[in-house]
Amino acid sequence: MRASEEQLRELMIAGLDGNADDHAALLRLLVPMLRGFYRRRASGDGDDIEDLVQDTLIAVHTRRSTYDRDRPFSAWLFAIARYKMIDHFRRNRRIQPIEGLEEILIAEGFEDASSARMDVDDLLDTLPPKQARMIRATRIEGLSVAEAAEIHGLGESDVKVSVHRGLKTLIARIQGGRA
Amino acid sequence: MNTDDLIVKLASDVPPVKRSAVSRRLGLGIAAGAAVSAGYALLMWGARPDLDVAMHSFSFWMKWAYTISLAFGALALTVQLARPETHRLRWLWLLAIPVLLLASVGVFELLRTPQTQWLAMWLGHSWKTCPWRVLTLAMPIFIGLLWSFRRLAPTRLRLAGAAAGLAAGAFAATVYCLHCPEASAIFVLTWYSLGILLAASFGALVGPRLLRW
Repeated sequence: MRASEEQLRELMIAGLDGNADDHAALLRLLVPMLRGFYRRRASGDGDDIEDLVQDTLIAVHTRRSTYDRDRPFSAWLFAIARYKMIDHFRRNRRIQPIEGLEEILIAEGFEDASSARMDVDDLLDTLPPKQARMIRATRIEGLSVAEAAEIHGLGESDVKVSVHRGLKTLIARIQGGRA
Repeated sequence: MNTDDLIVKLASDVPPVKRSAVSRRLGLGIAAGAAVSAGYALLMWGARPDLDVAMHSFSFWMKWAYTISLAFGALALTVQLARPETHRLRWLWLLAIPVLLLASVGVFELLRTPQTQWLAMWLGHSWKTCPWRVLTLAMPIFIGLLWSFRRLAPTRLRLAGAAAGLAAGAFAATVYCLHCPEASAIFVLTWYSLGILLAASFGALVGPRLLRW
């Protein structure tokens, strides 16, 4: 099993405190995660994917001061990974998104979806934390169930059940609000 | 380069990072830019001759309270947008407070002034130059912020550019108060704010290009 959110976060914080070995360990753990993340989302040969992975590692390293120790590590990491991916799509024709770029931009809610995001945040805040986290990971950060399970150290069925229950509660709440 | 070598190379340089690193870096960029702006303003236009007297007046502190509170409000937004995973901006509404307060002072002033003088009060002596001078003074501060952003990770570039421009404009207006002798609230509310908004629009315009990483 790959590293959990908690492990990654501890390594990141140790790195921020100046521990170079932990920082190197973190970057090594990120490599397979990022390869998986990009392979699932972008077509392009291995070299292109590896370029993206390296670019993201460099960004994680040089911009590590933007990680807020009180917030989830995976959300920070995948926000950088997603930014790098979209930047590559724009810059570079060879590597293309598997879905259309437009769809990704819309799905990622690039710039204008902030108001929708606010509503979503408000709704998610009403759920038990685990359900909210799993919905965020799978439906907003766009991770697969397997990725979310690994990062948060849960079983896949646990993730599925959390998402399902959470969404059911939300649907009931929205419909109730309308009635 | 192969990925393992890259990691070894990156891990050879791991200085400790303080919790407040993001705000420190933004603060440093602003301070350096504001120093240049202040130097430029004092050299080119000079301080207002009555600065030491004016420092004891209500209008001087009203202007500073307005520009400084806008500046820190904009800085709070910039700090949030400097992180990659910011979905939701907090404290945006705080920016409305100084605007509303200054507007109420303005209404109060208008009520105490005969209508024939309203236009003169609104336009002052420098309405044509004021917004442009604020915009000019905003440039060094904006450049300072661009330097800050080189180690930060904005992902909503247009918004981040606008927030940085807004902060640069509001700090520039704070600097401009050292020179500008205008005293009426509606003057400041209109022409200072226009200069600040020009700086914010400039930031929004160039953000996607210049803040890319």
